Amino acid sequence: MENIETKLREEAKRLLLEKKVDVIIGYEKGTLPLTATPCFVTTPEEADNLVWNHLCTQNPVKFVHDLITQHKNAQKRVKPEDRKKKVIGVVARGCATRSLIIQLQERQYERADVYIIGVPCEGYVDGKALKSAIGGVDITEGSIDGDQIKMKTSDGDKAVALKDVLAASCRTCRFNNPIISDTMVGSPAAAMNPDAEYNEVKEFEGKTVEERWAYYSKEMEKCIRCNACRQACPSCYCPTCFAEQSQPQWVGIGEDKTDTQVFQLMRLYHMVGRCVDCGSCVAVCPMGVDLRKFLKKIDKDGWELFGNRAGSSMDDMPPLGKYDEHHDKEDFVFNP
Amino acid sequence: MARRKFATLKSFLNYIGVEGDRTIFTWVSASEGDRFAQVIKGVTAKVRALGPANKLVKKFG
Ligand code: SF4
Ligand code: SF4
Repeated sequence: MENIETKLREEAKRLLLEKKVDVIIGYEKGTLPLTATPCFVTTPEEADNLVWNHLCTQNPVKFVHDLITQHKNAQKRVKPEDRKKKVIGVVARGCATRSLIIQLQERQYERADVYIIGVPCEGYVDGKALKSAIGGVDITEGSIDGDQIKMKTSDGDKAVALKDVLAASCRTCRFNNPIISDTMVGSPAAAMNPDAEYNEVKEFEGKTVEERWAYYSKEMEKCIRCNACRQACPSCYCPTCFAEQSQPQWVGIGEDKTDTQVFQLMRLYHMVGRCVDCGSCVAVCPMGVDLRKFLKKIDKDGWELFGNRAGSSMDDMPPLGKYDEHHDKEDFVFNP
Repeated sequence: MARRKFATLKSFLNYIGVEGDRTIFTWVSASEGDRFAQVIKGVTAKVRALGPANKLVKKFG
């Protein structure tokens, strides 16, 4: 990892010096121990702040969309002949490149608007899992040493095996290496365990309909409608979210539990062919709602019904935008 | 494509616990009066068998 970090900084410096990019979205050390936070690097000096490790959690492609939209809007007020082009560099692992592919396929911007610095990924630490592995005590200092996480906590020194606290999305990730990139830093990472990716979904499908409903309602009852999941998600980029539209009002914004169930149902369902299992929504949720249990089903259906894995290839267009008359099943149609 | 949305929505609703028989899709042309009656009969029979819907129903007051 150290090695990748050095190369990443060199590459970032070069790109900024050569003016290939105007900004690089990457990660820097977080303010709390054992965290990394997204950052925006605009000068070669700042490139030394970049890090790449098991603590880089959030999907940076959310910010790619934000910056490009912001720039486009700002340019509207500029005379056409004075308009400037801006290239956004982004440090992207497998899941992030899938999000880029989705945004590109959805024509959010042009390929030339982004410069992709591909990095191999061996998974990130699930902060909530780490916290519970050490009994919920506060971490005052920490570092990752090989396959161990060593911490000083309010309850003395502790160590946890890295593999035990990797995020669920990462453990079964099929695309931990970038799918598209303009430059690659480091050599490809070893495969994770994609064969197990649908185990949880299969188990859930085996439950009765009442058990499934009970679980869905129990999970959604935890939700406080903070919208952090939506804000973190690179596929949630609508300028006005259905959740906040008032004409018509699709769903109430209050604490009514049915409204919450409907809000979640709609956000989840909007992820057909668009969720890359980056786990960002799960990571930011302050209430620990089990969103992945439902998102993974959407991914599984996309694969089983239409042979599509979201954003896995530039050439495979979004599954809801097409139809395959020879392979699509008819069994959902009611024929009395 | 609308039909793919139907297929995935039905499957997803069933997954979260809203019985598959409550989400019913089919194609009927305006000229197919007899088939239309058949469809409605079929749908009502399925839904009646399940009883009142109380999931995803907002209660006021
Ligand atoms: S729904 Fe969650 S896991 Fe899926 S792409 Fe959005 S943030 Fe990532
Ligand atoms: S982040 Fe969690 S609590 Fe906040 S709206 Fe999403 S699911 Fe609800």
